[in-house]
Amino acid sequence: MKEQLIDLARKSGADFCEIRIEDSTQTSINFQGPELENVQESHMYGGNVRVAVNGTWGFVTFNNPDELPRRISEAVRNARAASARSTVRSVLAPVEPVQAEVRLDLKSDPREVSLDEKIRLFGGYNQRMLDTPGITSTNVRYFDKLSSIRYANSEGTWIARECADMGMGASALAKKNGTTARGSAAQGGRDDFELFRGMDAEMDKAAKAAIEAADAPVVEGGTYTVVCDPNLAGVFVHEAFGHLSEGDNVAEDPRMQEVLKLGRRFGEDYLNIYDTGLDVGLRGYLPYDDEGVPTEKTWLIRDGVLVGRLHSRETAGRMNEKPTGNARALSYKFPPIPRMRNTCIANGPHGKFEDLIKDIKLGIYAIDSAGGQTNGELFTFTAGQAFMIRNGKLAERIRDVTLGGNVFDTLRNITGVAGDYNVHDSSGGCGKAGQMPLPVSHGSPHIKIKDVVIGGR
Amino acid sequence: MGRDFDSGAPGASNTGKATSSEADTGVYEKPAATKFTERLGSLADAYEMYKSEGRSLSVSFENDRLNEIRQGESYGISIRAVKQGKIGFSYSSKPDEIDHVAQSALRMAPWGKPYDYEFAAKANANQSRPYDPACGEISVERSVELCENVKDIIKSIDPEATTDVSIRGGLNSTRIATSRGQDCREDESGFGYFVSARISEEGNFLTVYRGRGSARVIADDEILEQARETGHEFKIARKLLPFSRGKYRVLFAPHAVADLLLPIVVGINGMNIARKTSRFVDSLGEELFDKRISLEDDPFHPDAPSGAQYDGEGVPAQKRPIIERGILKGFVHTLSTAQKCGHAPTGNGQRSVSSQPAPGLHSVIMAAGDTELDQMYRDAEGGLCVSQLLGTFTSNFLAGQVSGNVSLGFLVKDGQRAGRVKNCALNVNSFDVLKSQVVSVSKQREWVGGEYLPWLLVDGIGISAR
Repeated sequence: MKEQLIDLARKSGADFCEIRIEDSTQTSINFQGPELENVQESHMYGGNVRVAVNGTWGFVTFNNPDELPRRISEAVRNARAASARSTVRSVLAPVEPVQAEVRLDLKSDPREVSLDEKIRLFGGYNQRMLDTPGITSTNVRYFDKLSSIRYANSEGTWIARECADMGMGASALAKKNGTTARGSAAQGGRDDFELFRGMDAEMDKAAKAAIEAADAPVVEGGTYTVVCDPNLAGVFVHEAFGHLSEGDNVAEDPRMQEVLKLGRRFGEDYLNIYDTGLDVGLRGYLPYDDEGVPTEKTWLIRDGVLVGRLHSRETAGRMNEKPTGNARALSYKFPPIPRMRNTCIANGPHGKFEDLIKDIKLGIYAIDSAGGQTNGELFTFTAGQAFMIRNGKLAERIRDVTLGGNVFDTLRNITGVAGDYNVHDSSGGCGKAGQMPLPVSHGSPHIKIKDVVIGGR
Repeated sequence: MGRDFDSGAPGASNTGKATSSEADTGVYEKPAATKFTERLGSLADAYEMYKSEGRSLSVSFENDRLNEIRQGESYGISIRAVKQGKIGFSYSSKPDEIDHVAQSALRMAPWGKPYDYEFAAKANANQSRPYDPACGEISVERSVELCENVKDIIKSIDPEATTDVSIRGGLNSTRIATSRGQDCREDESGFGYFVSARISEEGNFLTVYRGRGSARVIADDEILEQARETGHEFKIARKLLPFSRGKYRVLFAPHAVADLLLPIVVGINGMNIARKTSRFVDSLGEELFDKRISLEDDPFHPDAPSGAQYDGEGVPAQKRPIIERGILKGFVHTLSTAQKCGHAPTGNGQRSVSSQPAPGLHSVIMAAGDTELDQMYRDAEGGLCVSQLLGTFTSNFLAGQVSGNVSLGFLVKDGQRAGRVKNCALNVNSFDVLKSQVVSVSKQREWVGGEYLPWLLVDGIGISAR
């Protein structure tokens, strides 16, 4: 297959041609309330061709590999017809062609755990939460996905990559006086099914959080000093700065290039942010991106100053910068675009959680994330749990805490970065341009941010 | 084996939508006569097969220039097979794998969900939907020209705007056959456009967009008119106005009204009714909202981008009231949730070919009000017009909460949008807002995804701001 695909790509007649063929199997389990709602086995098979002609991409997907030569012709024909009006040329940053085979290297293989055992394990977690007095409903989801991806391009790169992805999410619902509240727990990773065992205590915490939140007051809207736990701080850096750092936001926009000029100060000296594909075992681990570029640890902010961004070959080429191995595609159905891997705030000098809250008279401690969104400048995300901070101490639980703000102001307003970095994967993922959920990770120590807008009553 | 069910391709027939197995004669063989279904029928106690096949083309401009021509082909088949009272499910996107999918579904059955309801019985559709084969014949050259024209219009209004435009079209064919004799096929057509103007400058990142889908090709004139609207709103939004926190009268534009309706959409979902997590469980027939709030689910609306003659389980879809003059009239169910709740099936099993059905609405049509939009702007004097919210999907919808950043909001002055307000957020209880805070509902409506919605003027909305 290797020589055949490289040969087809080289003979396409386009400025550049790449071919991806993907074969994946996925097992999914979902409990809803007392019922096993879904047990599913899926086989995803398909491929794509992406060609560049005079700066225009032609992208074609298919399910039948016998049609590959015809699909290449269609992709070239479409791009050529459209590019007749184009005055732009194709630009891809140069990389050394790669010949690589990446085999699965699992600590614990999910395929060696029977479906029966998986159902008992996750059903047990579900039942444990359901049995908690005050819990009215539950949801436990698990998936494992094993993929084999073959990639070839017209420059001679060939990568045969196997990978695994696993995740679980559990939530418990409690209802009191017409108010429904949720508590949740999650786990994820790429190489170790054992991570999903022994999670009873986390189920108990999720149930307790739901029960307490159903009885908690809604936060009073306003501007607060907020301390985020490592999980929420990780979501914050992903939403608030990671997306902004993706090269397609910047490469062809001179104003954005001014706003995101390398060397510009974004925060205090103790703010350091990076994105890495090198953390083996995390869902954001990626040896090669989906353009065949080896991944790396990419510093975005060092000592408070912007030093890098996340590139595909096209965005790097247009900015005359180096590709960083961030071109990722959700599946064969989509073209690769600049995406994050494991995005992190590095440890800072401000000790522990207790050190961050001791000087806060009135603030909020926000824990875990129920998701978030950004439009580049503004962001919104919702805490999974939250407590008031009063006079330097944790106080009462509150609910429905949504943090919103301006990315640039908020980065400047990070007034504390603790030294307790942590990263914890879940079953969710990142969404962009219709490609969701892409497996990513995010990590951080506790951070303190002043003047955060909290939407409330 | 298996190719009998696998025959046919999207767009193979221009006859529109078949409405029953009888109407399918001549297009497909009846699966009951095929070898495969006979064999599956002998192995499984009951079964349902779902096949989907489609093709699409899109042209996209990014950063003022042609970026990509995307052509997609999709294929998938899934089977639900019942063995000893339990349902196994399997899916594949690989052609010629129908045997493998059937075997896998049967293998999964011992662990599956109890088969405590029945797959769809033979039934004809209640009504047809439009089918436009032209959606499958989108011209690359013509679409590129249309995108260029959109770009030129926006640039003529504000040369500093960066434009993104996309035009897409496609055809899809689905077929569902069950062991209870249902065999329904739908040929679906789809067309859509997206137009946006944006600028990212120090202190003001701004994106204004418009777009909609339809089962029919949308006329160039509408797309060009929306480009003008986008350009004008963009121009207004470039002016930033000071703003402070407080309680405001707020005019929610249709896009933001869609966010306000999310707690209702979640609350009427049969899954949440069956699990008793919805506050609507015992509320059918109760007046929960303002009398001017009426919602219906219309799977047959000629301009809707979504909808179907049959739902994802082969049950004929229905046009049904959800809220009628403030009174809760109906839930949306799959066959399973209907059975659990003791309700009649509603034809709302939504799914892709790779997933099992879950309850969902086809197209939400909200009744128009009696107030002209111009009057509503005058009535909102000193308040806000909220066009877009950010991040509302993370809200606690079961509790009625809708919270998010106001990503595009305007201060209303002299009866019009005077300029943009930023760095503010809202957190409302939608159940309360739609019950007792509605001032007026507009005569005008717009499509937002699969929803056709008016503007809502609402009193007493708390806005947080820096």
